[in-house]
Amino acid sequence: MTPPTTPTRPGSRTRAVTRRLAGHLARGLAMIWVVTTISFVIIRNIPGDPVRGQYETLIERGMSPDQAERATAALYGFLPTGSLWDQYTGYLAALAHLDLGQSLSTPGTEVTTLIGSAASWTVLPVLGGTLLSFLLGVTLGVYAGIRRSGRLGDLLSISGSLLHGVPQYVIGLLMLAIFTTLWPIFPAGGPVDVEFTPGLNAGYLASLIHHATLPVLTYALASYGGWVLAMKSSVATVLGDDFILAAELRGMSRGVVFRYVARNAILPLFTILALSLGMLFGGAIFIERIFNYPGLGLLLVNSIGARDYALMGGTFLVTTVAIIIANIAADLLYAVIDPRVRTAS
Amino acid sequence: MTIDPDPAAAPGPHAAPGVRVRDLTVVYRTPLGELPALHGVSLAIEPGTITGLVGESGSGKSTLALSLLNAVQPPGRIAAGQVEIDGLGDVTRLGGEELRRARGRHLGYVFQAAQNSLNPLKTVGKQLLDLGRSHGVADPAALVHDARLLLDRMGLPGARVLDSCQHELSGGMRQRVGIMFALVLNAHLVILDEPTTALDMITQAAILRIIREIHKERGLTTLIVTHDIGVAAEVTDRLAVMYGGRVVEHGPTTEVLGDPGHPYTQGLIRAIPRLSGDIDAARALPGRPPTLGTVPVDGCVFRERCPRRMDVCETGEPPVAWLGDRTVACHAAGAAPREKEHA
Repeated sequence: MTPPTTPTRPGSRTRAVTRRLAGHLARGLAMIWVVTTISFVIIRNIPGDPVRGQYETLIERGMSPDQAERATAALYGFLPTGSLWDQYTGYLAALAHLDLGQSLSTPGTEVTTLIGSAASWTVLPVLGGTLLSFLLGVTLGVYAGIRRSGRLGDLLSISGSLLHGVPQYVIGLLMLAIFTTLWPIFPAGGPVDVEFTPGLNAGYLASLIHHATLPVLTYALASYGGWVLAMKSSVATVLGDDFILAAELRGMSRGVVFRYVARNAILPLFTILALSLGMLFGGAIFIERIFNYPGLGLLLVNSIGARDYALMGGTFLVTTVAIIIANIAADLLYAVIDPRVRTAS
Repeated sequence: MTIDPDPAAAPGPHAAPGVRVRDLTVVYRTPLGELPALHGVSLAIEPGTITGLVGESGSGKSTLALSLLNAVQPPGRIAAGQVEIDGLGDVTRLGGEELRRARGRHLGYVFQAAQNSLNPLKTVGKQLLDLGRSHGVADPAALVHDARLLLDRMGLPGARVLDSCQHELSGGMRQRVGIMFALVLNAHLVILDEPTTALDMITQAAILRIIREIHKERGLTTLIVTHDIGVAAEVTDRLAVMYGGRVVEHGPTTEVLGDPGHPYTQGLIRAIPRLSGDIDAARALPGRPPTLGTVPVDGCVFRERCPRRMDVCETGEPPVAWLGDRTVACHAAGAAPREKEHA
């Protein structure tokens, strides 16, 4: 007699996941190449060339072309010479070694260094805000979906629709007005107070959290409505499914039925969550601007203003890679939680 | 191989329960007000029988079946009447935990859309364990064992099915899994709502044979809802014919089908095409069955389509008359000689 539940074909499942992953990586690399190429072409074609500008300024000041060229090269550490094609192949070759080049607007600094420090400031508020609004939105959305006709359910849906309709920057400005001016309990900007030495000390961490509160809340409020509405409609759909009535007619306990509803309803939201975690690396431009938070969004805006090709390209690339990774993660995660996807591959 | 689990594991009625439905009225809330889907239905289901519930779509079959579990779905509700089940009492008065425990444990229900009656994210085995936990089954291993025996019994590879998700099973397999869920807690009143509707003829025949065998083996009271007279003729002992939210005829299957007393039953049987013989011999009933909104308030609900319509049909609800071993609700029943149909 065989045991009641024997795991079937564990080998084939692992193989299927591996094959899936390999396919994703190949597609992901192709995608990265396409985005890199497009952004390279676009960036080189926007008007205003900082190196050329510097070079011309020096000539106007009376330098000889040779001197001006050498001075410019010394300032930026390099001089873009050669055709666009040569620059492109050079860029790709450097990219293969994860070398994103030097920033033009902050001469002498590696683009990777700038992106690295900005990324850590982006991850904190946006990741915190996304997870907070996801948890809050999904929990309340389940309630709103189950109690569709109740007063609290209505209230939740209305609050969701309202918040969903208000743009991020309006919420950000309101938060700024309320909590830094009318009732100044939070700092108006910056990531941390300068008097603390960075590290794992209480003062620094407290200041970090104090500064992150408003951006996190803004982000959470701005995305909360979407989660509530998505979860509510997902729950409503699942509640109408035959298997929920079947579970009730079999006398399944309320807890079991609730778990059946919740797990099936949250499924489509996981994909959105994974994708929005990928988008997170694009930074939250408005929020970072409003709270003067030195994240990726602010870095991108500044790099565009300064025509910093290398930095722009690098920021685009990071965003692209993050979204591609998020896509792959979403797909693999889906395969783990939904058995139908697992066997379908 | 015995399937009956340890009697101590399943408290409650062990003998086949009888069911007495009395003056049951179920209404649905619509923009036109509350309209009755069941109108004062009375029906006695004999213990140990397989009773068929036949009728056209919208006649109230499924509503009646769900009423036996006090599970009429909103916007419907039981407005009046009782459903008394041996060992449980009047289920229309049960609620909350008491009702939940009765479902599954005493009342096995095979869902109309049993094709989709499983949680798509969980294996059958895990859902079985959920069922066990919901009903406080002390020995989950024994429950799994019983489930496997039942599945094996129905011609399925039990161990593999328990380890499968819904999408890995065919329609016929899912249907049998649904039947397993209705039986595994040893319920003695089993209600099957269109158990074979979506299945091919071969699978249908196999499932009907299994239903009959298990019914006999376990000593159940079984109710089969179907719109298929052929299915009813094949497995049922007794037959209740529904029309417009009423039971219009009820009696032993052979009598009801062999010598139908109600003009509607006669029409239903005449509408069945035969394999041998002329297709034109099958005559569809003229007109359409009434919907919630078009059921006449007074008089006989069938009169619009009835070949034996009389003046009294316009005003009086037909009385229930006993014709030997069966009941017929028709003004004309017994009053005039019934025409016999020879196919």
